[in-house]
Amino acid sequence: MFGYIRPCAEEMKIREFERFRALYCGLCHELGREYGLAGRAILNYDFVFLAMLLWGDAGTCDYCFRRCLPGFCRRRCVTKSAPPLTAAAGMSLILAYWKAQDGVADSRGAKKLGALAVRGFLRRAYKKAAGKYPEFDGEVRRRLEDLSRLEKARSESLDEPADKFALLLSSACEAGRQEDRRALEQLLYHVGRIIYIADGYFDLKGDLKDGNYNPVAARFGLTDAHVPEEVRESVLETLMSSARLAAAAYELLPASYWTPVTRNIVYLGIPQMIRQVLDGTYQTAVRGRPKHPARLPDRTESEL
Amino acid sequence: MTDPYKVLGISPDASDEEVKKAYREMAKKYHPDNYVDNPLADLAQEKMKEVNEAYDTITKARKGGGGRTGSGYSSGYSSGYSSGGSSYQGSYQSAGKYAEIRNAINAGNLQYAEQLLDQAPARDAEWNFLMGSLYYKKGWLDDARSFFQRAASMDPYNQEYRQALNMVSAANSPYRQTGYGPPAQGGFDMCDMCTAMMCANMMCGGCR
Repeated sequence: MFGYIRPCAEEMKIREFERFRALYCGLCHELGREYGLAGRAILNYDFVFLAMLLWGDAGTCDYCFRRCLPGFCRRRCVTKSAPPLTAAAGMSLILAYWKAQDGVADSRGAKKLGALAVRGFLRRAYKKAAGKYPEFDGEVRRRLEDLSRLEKARSESLDEPADKFALLLSSACEAGRQEDRRALEQLLYHVGRIIYIADGYFDLKGDLKDGNYNPVAARFGLTDAHVPEEVRESVLETLMSSARLAAAAYELLPASYWTPVTRNIVYLGIPQMIRQVLDGTYQTAVRGRPKHPARLPDRTESEL
Repeated sequence: MTDPYKVLGISPDASDEEVKKAYREMAKKYHPDNYVDNPLADLAQEKMKEVNEAYDTITKARKGGGGRTGSGYSSGYSSGYSSGGSSYQGSYQSAGKYAEIRNAINAGNLQYAEQLLDQAPARDAEWNFLMGSLYYKKGWLDDARSFFQRAASMDPYNQEYRQALNMVSAANSPYRQTGYGPPAQGGFDMCDMCTAMMCANMMCGGCR
């Protein structure tokens, strides 16, 4: 939901990277085709990961060349529409809408106005998506209501609110194949848990400044932005344990066309993201600044 | 039956070495140590069975063609599996109530286990350990770690509690040893034994 789940590009083969980029563009085109401009605006890496997981036995991917607004001058290679892509687009839209709704309920002042605008912007597209996936829509709404109740009560458990968010994401497994559901559900559960806790840690400073609820601050009783070493260690361990459980569930899914990319994400991308969020380098790392080749770590094995 | 080569993810004209290598990797991946207290343990076990069967089928089919095979290898892994599943038998001598809770957790009946734990009178080390196991199975790893820590500090000499704590700690987990990470240093585990047997087997067949 926030773009945390991305591959470790340095370790990818160039063809895998090109395909991944084409899928990213393909999802954008799919969102545009189905839901218009509002759909395109919500695109992020997490939804691309979801599309790859839902791929199942849909076989290889068809590609074509298309123009789009940011890349107007040059036609880019994008994936053609496919059923898993359509499902991922619809579910992404529902998630993005409810996230905006959550923002309306939680924020005040100018931020509330911003959230209201986003919600209004997504409304029509959301209605269409909710009509297609009513069960998923209901599940997401229920979980987010539970979550905001816990957040209002300023829950001191880290696992409880994370559990609600994780369950919300794991209900997306309904779009997968029947025989893969259990493994997919467990994988998405832990990915959701990682996203929620990592996002909480990432927002720690801002939330403390604004007086907002923050699960990490509430769990460890933090009052300023300084995080003691043992707290960091503790968050690292809980996130890495989730990453290992996600990997164990991932291994039980059959191979698909996207396996080289999803394997990279599960074994390298997610641990790398966790490490970067915890040592405060995440923001600079994802800005896409030119990387100095000598400073890139040598890493071909998983960190899990 | 599905194509055994497909199960191992190799092509039918792979060499014996490649077959062995693929099998060893798969067996490591689905090893029960990677699925202790995991709600997907049964799926992993199924997968392991499939892999074992595929390997047996290939080696049997190739024996006729004169290829040397290491049949002791597969039995090493399958026996590893059955012992892995019984990690809870250790302290069955404890109170009957706790045994019942353990069974409920192992069977995945988490609601019932939680109810029983709520009603339990004492909050001793075993209680904390079982609470930890319950939360671990639910995926609530932060709470699980707190309970395992408490259990391990109340009874520091209990091997089981310490193992559980290691399981949720990033530094020293079973995944490091059997999963994708670098191999454990200096230890002697099932994999080493299998490798040793494989080497020995290859020496026996050196004069083929």
